[in-house]
Amino acid sequence: MAGRSKIVFDAVRYDYTPPGGAPVPALDGVSLAIAEDEFVAVVGPSGCGKSTLLHLVAGFLPLSDGRILLDGRPVGPPGPDRGVVFQHFALFPWKTVRQNILYGLERKRGLDADTRRALARRYIEMVRLEGFEDLYPAQLSGGMKQRVAIARTLATQPDVLLMDEPFGALDAQTRGLMQEELLAIWSRRRKTVLFVTHDVHEAVLLADRIAVMTARPGRIKALVEVGLPRPRDRAVIRSAAFAERCEDVWALVREEARAAEAGVGQMGATEAGGAR
Amino acid sequence: MGRRDRRTRLADAALGAVLPLLLLAAWEIATRFALVSSFLLPRPGAVVVRLAEEIAAGTLPAAAGATLLRLTVSYGIAAVVGVGLGIAMARLRTVRWVLDPVVSIALPSPKISLLPVLVLWFGVFDTPKIVIGVLSCVFPIVAGTAAGAAGVDRHLIWSAENLGTRPGALLWRVVLPAALPQIVTALQVALPIAFIAVVVAEMLTGGGGLGGGLIEATRLADPAGAFAHLVAIGVLGFLAMAALRRLRRFILVWHEEEQRQGVII
Repeated sequence: MAGRSKIVFDAVRYDYTPPGGAPVPALDGVSLAIAEDEFVAVVGPSGCGKSTLLHLVAGFLPLSDGRILLDGRPVGPPGPDRGVVFQHFALFPWKTVRQNILYGLERKRGLDADTRRALARRYIEMVRLEGFEDLYPAQLSGGMKQRVAIARTLATQPDVLLMDEPFGALDAQTRGLMQEELLAIWSRRRKTVLFVTHDVHEAVLLADRIAVMTARPGRIKALVEVGLPRPRDRAVIRSAAFAERCEDVWALVREEARAAEAGVGQMGATEAGGAR
Repeated sequence: MGRRDRRTRLADAALGAVLPLLLLAAWEIATRFALVSSFLLPRPGAVVVRLAEEIAAGTLPAAAGATLLRLTVSYGIAAVVGVGLGIAMARLRTVRWVLDPVVSIALPSPKISLLPVLVLWFGVFDTPKIVIGVLSCVFPIVAGTAAGAAGVDRHLIWSAENLGTRPGALLWRVVLPAALPQIVTALQVALPIAFIAVVVAEMLTGGGGLGGGLIEATRLADPAGAFAHLVAIGVLGFLAMAALRRLRRFILVWHEEEQRQGVII
């Protein structure tokens, strides 16, 4: 693999304990190395723990076993070195667009008020929200909210960008535009990105490599090198290579989705048997 | 925005006035044609005259002031204590375990039944009325605040942590503002409860206030005076609720519900 590893997953396990229930293994034995400035997408059947994987890197959840290293050191509690973009934006509804973007900057050391304001303005421009600075999230459309969330995270200049189905809650048109925007932003300012999605096309369009996960308990089933030229834009979708890569990834995901459904069916059967 | 909105709002207000005006007309007709004895139901005009007299003499404003003071003090104490306990219950397991049974029992119980004991302990003046006001409205505030603070979306907390918020600052930075709509709702529910408790306590123990004045007027067989007090009680309650609604709109400008008309997509 080119470059040194930025993030390393080493036999990561996470057991989810439902309230009042026994622990269920959600991830078991996930190993993966992500290079500096690499864009890795994680796809897999729903419930395979791909979001959990991201929450573990972010430090929101405690590991049950294994290690996650960031620059060779175990990841600690949540912090702005790993910027997270959430599916449902997680903007502070009581703050305006500008105040949301300033929030992370105010908690960063060594920035005076003028610098913070200038940075906020720059990121507002980057996501094309000039003129909306003083509106509250409730006054924005879904796409605008996600642009605020991306600007808020990028403004703190994280080393690593963790994106948890960031365009999953948007309509198809907005999603397409946001994907192009993300590609443009990323090609201007490269970062290590871990991007969770259930959309195979999105993964192929954006990523350098795609990690396909197995059904629960999640583990890495295959790593697919996308190999499409950069910088990319939407035009790449019409290429034969794009279609081929989507087909490859989709075939892998489909196997697991089938397995997941069969698993659910089996579990249902056992439970019914147990109840009798 | 503008003319059309204002016109619909005027129309709504006019619609809202229909029923009270009809009742007033029925009242006037019933008394004018002596369908009801004027001892049981004084004429609206007589009540208005009495209101004017009592206001001019300063007796009604003094009574309203006494009630308002008791309401403000008891409601203020209940708001501070209730929001504090509610947040503590949502955030600290020990506090929840200790308080949960107490709140569950106290919330539905009729606090006014403690009044005789409170009179025994605190006399008949302001203190028992304030205590009954606090006891009556503090539990809905505790319960509403606890539910709001416990229900804060964990993604909001995660995103605050992710942006560098220290664990100790989460309460102030995220939990409190995120729970604010529900806290304000709980406070809006609690206000009429406190008002009712204070007025009823005044009616039962005397010692001035609008409730005390009402009872006094009925004891003196003074129907116009009694109705004047009833009107004043209605107006004071209405104004207190309206003030709180205005406060809600002011502190929750950002909230979806307050913005429904201003969404631009």
